[in-house]
Order: sequence, then C-alpha cells, then structure tokens
Amino acid sequence: MKKALAIARWEFVEKVKTKAFIISLILTPIFMIGAGILPTLLVTKADTEPRIIGVIDQTNELAEIISQKLDEKYRLPDGAPNYIIRKIFMESNEDITAAKKVADQLVADGSIEGYLILPANIYNDTLFEYRSKNVGNIKLTERLNRTVRDIVVEKKLKSQGFDPQLIKRLVSEIEIKLVKISEKGEEESDFKSVFFSAYIFIMAIFILIITTGQLLVRSMVEEKSNRIIEVLMSSSSANDLLVGKILGLSALGFVQIGTWAIIGLALALKFGTIIISLSNALILLPYFILGYLFYAAIFVGMGAPLTTEQEAQQVTGYLVMILFIPLLLAMWIMQNPNSPIVSVLSYIPFLTPTMMAVRIPIQVPSLIEIISTLIVLVLSTITAMWIAAKIFRTAILSYGKRPNLKELWILIKSK
Amino acid sequence: MLKVENIRKEYATVVAVDDVSFEVKPGEIFGLLGPNGAGKTTTIRMILDIIKPDKGIILFDGKLIDDEIRNKIGYLPEERGLYRKNKLINTIVYFATLKGLSQSEARKRAYSLLGRLDLLSYAERKVEELSKGNQQKVQFIISIIHDPQIVILDEPFSGLDPVNQIVLKDLFMELKDNGKAIIFSTHMMEQAEKLSDKICLINKGKVVVDGTLSEVKSKFGQNHIHLEFDGDASFLKDIEVIDNLLLYENYAEFEIKDHQSLEKIIPIILQKLKIKKYEVVEPSLHSIFLQLVGGEKLIQMDSK
Repeated sequence: MKKALAIARWEFVEKVKTKAFIISLILTPIFMIGAGILPTLLVTKADTEPRIIGVIDQTNELAEIISQKLDEKYRLPDGAPNYIIRKIFMESNEDITAAKKVADQLVADGSIEGYLILPANIYNDTLFEYRSKNVGNIKLTERLNRTVRDIVVEKKLKSQGFDPQLIKRLVSEIEIKLVKISEKGEEESDFKSVFFSAYIFIMAIFILIITTGQLLVRSMVEEKSNRIIEVLMSSSSANDLLVGKILGLSALGFVQIGTWAIIGLALALKFGTIIISLSNALILLPYFILGYLFYAAIFVGMGAPLTTEQEAQQVTGYLVMILFIPLLLAMWIMQNPNSPIVSVLSYIPFLTPTMMAVRIPIQVPSLIEIISTLIVLVLSTITAMWIAAKIFRTAILSYGKRPNLKELWILIKSK
Repeated sequence: MLKVENIRKEYATVVAVDDVSFEVKPGEIFGLLGPNGAGKTTTIRMILDIIKPDKGIILFDGKLIDDEIRNKIGYLPEERGLYRKNKLINTIVYFATLKGLSQSEARKRAYSLLGRLDLLSYAERKVEELSKGNQQKVQFIISIIHDPQIVILDEPFSGLDPVNQIVLKDLFMELKDNGKAIIFSTHMMEQAEKLSDKICLINKGKVVVDGTLSEVKSKFGQNHIHLEFDGDASFLKDIEVIDNLLLYENYAEFEIKDHQSLEKIIPIILQKLKIKKYEVVEPSLHSIFLQLVGGEKLIQMDSK
C-alpha cells in the first residue's frame, strides 16, 4: 500500500504541475461561463442611458400616452426614464414620406434609436411599424409592442363603454409559473432548471471520466512505449501499480471538478440560482463514485494492451460515445420518466450513472429501484476491477498487436 | 543469496526458458550469457517477479519474493526507459521512493550519485534533453540508488562509449567489494570474461555450460592458439588438424587436435606468414561461446 501511495503521489504531483493541466483548469470554466452566461448577461443587461424613440403619430393622440406609460413602467437604475419619446414633425397627416425621410436621417446620425409609425387606423389594423438600424434588440421591441398593444386594447375597450377601472383589472398582465409536484410536496421549478441540473451532473461525471480515463490510458501507453513499466513492475506489484495510478489520477480529476464546482457554486450564489437540491446530490453521489470507478476499470482493461497513442485515442473515443447516450435521450426521458425502457436502461452499468443523473432531478426513482441499480453497479464495478487487474498484469508487458477477444478471455481465466 | 531452481517459461509458440538453475552469492559477479533470444531477459524478468515462471522456484535467502525483497533488488532493463517530460531529479527520487527510500534520503543520494557521474548540472533538466549515453547513466543510478543487495543489469554495456564503460566497470567493482551480488547479462563475451566470477551460458532456453570462469575454461581444452601476423592466412581453413578457427585480418584463434599435430603445422605457418605473436592459451570465452552456440550465430552477432 505504501508503494501504491508513492505511485499515486507521483502521478498526481507531476501532472498537477504541467502547463496543460493548469491551463485547462482555468480556461475551461472561463470558456463555459463565456459560452453559457455571457449572451444572457448581455441581453438582460439594463440600459444605463435613456434610449430615444421617435414616433410618427398619425393618430395624433397615442404618442403622449405611450410616453407616459413607458415612463411609468421602465426606469433606469438611477431613476431617470429608460425611454424618451420624441415626436417627428409631419407636414400633413396623410403623407408621411417627408417625415420618414427626416426620421431616417435622425436614425442614421444616431440621435434616435429607431422610430414607430402609428397609422391612423391602428384601432382596426393589426400592424404598426418599428424601424431601426438594429431590430434585434428583443427586449426593446417586446416592450414597445406590449405597451402599444395594451394602450390600443384599452382604448378600444373604452370606446365600447367599459369602465376604466374595470379595464385596468381586465388587461392586467398574466404570466406562467411552473410548479413541480414531488413526494415532499410542491416545489417551484421549471423546465430549464430541471434540464440544467441533470445536465450539470452529467457533465461533471463526463468530464471526470474522460479526463481521468484519458490520463490513465495515456500514462499506461507512455510507460509501455518508454519501457518504464519494467522498472515499475520490478519495484512494485501490479496491483499496487494499478491502485496507485487510479488513486493519483482520480485525485487529479477531483481537483479539477472540485475547482469548477466551487467556481460554479460561487456564481450560483451570486446570481441567486441554486438549481441542484442537496438531497438529489446526495442520492447521486454513490452513482457518481461507482460509475467513475467502473469506467476507470474499463479504461485500464482496454488501455493496458495498447501500444500507441493513436490506438488510445480510438478506444477513449468509443467510451465517450457510450457516455453521451443518456444526454441524447434526456428530452425523451423528461417526458416519459416512468417508461419501462428508462428503467431497463438504468440497469446497464455503462449507462446507470448518467441515466440516474437525468432521472433524479426530474423524478426521484423508487427506493427499490435505487437500491437495486446500486447493487448491480457495485457488482459490475467489482467485476470490472477484477478483470482489469488481470488484463493489466499481463497485457502491460505485451507489445505489438492488440489482443483479440479470445486472447483476452485466456488472460482473464489465467491465474 | 539468490537461488534459481529449475525454472521454465513457455510462450504460445516457444519454450523461452527451459529448466534453468543457478546460484549467486554475495560479492559475486555473475554473467548470464547467451546469444540474442536465448532467454536471458525472460530469466531476469522471472527473477524480478515481473513474470511468473510456469515451473521452478526462485528464492532469496531461502524466501520467495515480497515487497521487502523487491526493495533490495536493483534493476537495469535492457531497453532503457525514463519519463521524458519530467525533471531528472524528480524521476530519480520517484524510483528511489518506490524502493522504500524516504523523499529526503532519496534526494540526498540522487544528488551525490549525479555528482559522481558528472550529471549534476542536468539535475533540474528534463530527461529528454539528455543524450542517450547520459540517460543510460541515469538509469544506472536508478538501479543502485537504494543500496540494493542484488543488482541485475540486462546488457549494461550496450550503447556506452569506452569512457563510460570504464566508469561503469569501476562502479561494478565497487559494488562487488561492498559484498553485493551482481547479475549481468550480455552477449559481449570480452566484457563477461573480464568481469565475471561465474558464468552461465544459455542457448535456446537451456543451460549449455556454467561454473566459475576457470572451471568453464578448463573444460574446453588446452590446445588453444592465438596468432598475430602479417599476410594472407586463409590457408589455415584447409589444414585438417585445425578446429574452431576464428580468422580476422591480422589475428587468428584456433584449436588443434593434439600436440604432435602442432609440430607439423608450425613450419607451414612460419613459411607463409610473418608471425608477430604466438601464444598457446586457454580458450577465450568468445571462442567457447562460438563453439557451443554454433556458427550460424556468428553471422548474427557480427551484424549487430
């Protein structure tokens, strides 16, 4: 065991210092945050300066009301109005060609953001125009659309003789709130957060398995091709070597995931969105660890007979594909969490951890199912470890062609 | 100290080692000789417990190998290998800790050995920046840093220049004087002859001859002649009483059947060649090797 620890220490300390590791440790979260959060941040970012919106008002009455409504509803952080309505002068109410030219000029020189054309028949027509250089500002167009629509509807109702107080109540805004029902009672939730918590777990398992798995295979291939393996095998038993490698490289993987988890948690706290419940995380933990060990064993078993880096990449490629399956099925699982196919897939050890990562945030499976899948996973992990150790002991010294299944079987059967 | 009894290893198509036995005592240099593919490396790997023998037993002071015994063995593999991207000093310390040394002790000894082998300035460099010969010296440091009782060296001299061969030879003798048992394999008989106390020659997995150097030599006749000359000596091939002829440009080694024949051929030789040196000696290990292993191996060895 002392030797296993010495090996673990070496694998960990020497790799944790490498530039590749440090760069990936820092760059990956930056990249993830950049890709995931930045666009949302940019879109939802509040304005700091008022935006000036021009209006060509053929109704001769709406511009003031719009201005008033926008003032009421939207303010900048410093309290100033977010939108300022500026009426564009029209020579005649019928022909607005000249006014449009003036407005276009104002847009072009930047004195207004864009302008609305409110036609005289807006109460009967269903269309009005907003013209701007940038029509991609969804927040702005949505607000303008909503404000104008509300005003028009209110006007229409008023003209039909409805009481203004009643109208206010009738047109009050309605929004959807999603509530998930679970055994503990009801919880507020929505599709996005369910999907994301599943997604985060899968990504965590995924990254851990891939990075550690690749490191394992690579270090075995390196030691083989450099013939270091002989010196190692003459100093420690094959089992110590195997245990030491898995320990050291796992520690490396957990440092990586841990760092990212802390960054993620800090961000989540800052933005006030914790999407993973602690109890779910605790149920997932054994799947996470067992699944990880199961895959580590598979990587060792498949990696030990290899001699070249190319072969190693191929083999890790196959395993990555298997890990992806539950993510591809995630949508479907969310719609049918109780389907028997989902249950059956959960018993396949290759898929158990990721299947559960998708299922648990949606609907926690029954206790019987949790226990039985865990038992299957424990047994498969032990078997996989045992087989991996056998293959490792012999295959790590063999060079040249990859053993076929029959030769592997002989290896496994041998004492 | 080390006792190898009747070990055998079979692979799918060949018997790599067949019923090999020998014993090595403290302070002894033991040469494990044989042509390429004879089973030397397989034998060494079995001693080190890298692979298990199919039959037979290997004992260290009467005990089977365990972690404690592993810590007392040093090993220089035939195909050298080091981590390429890691610092020299860290690599050496790692292998030393695997042999049970503490970090600090390993570091101390690593620096002192690097100093002895003129490598101190490379300590903080990456292994891949070293020349091949220097990498081999590093590998040698790794095999002795933990002060092993048994040092096993597979082809230690291959790839070393003459200067470093002498450095290595001195280290050999020092280990011997300190009472270590040294096992080394080689197909270079000149080295084996100069260094070994005892030898074991194997071919095709089987022991062909073993014993102390003088025992082995005395088994192989006294009528051995070394000749240094000028001229064309190819006629020696046609003389009937000459056996096991080794013919070089200006040098020849051969055996004659008996002393009477010697008197007959000397006049012929004197007539045809200008003799610079003439010696009746015991056979060299080289010629014994060739006699036992056979002529077909000669071609292979020369091409190496």
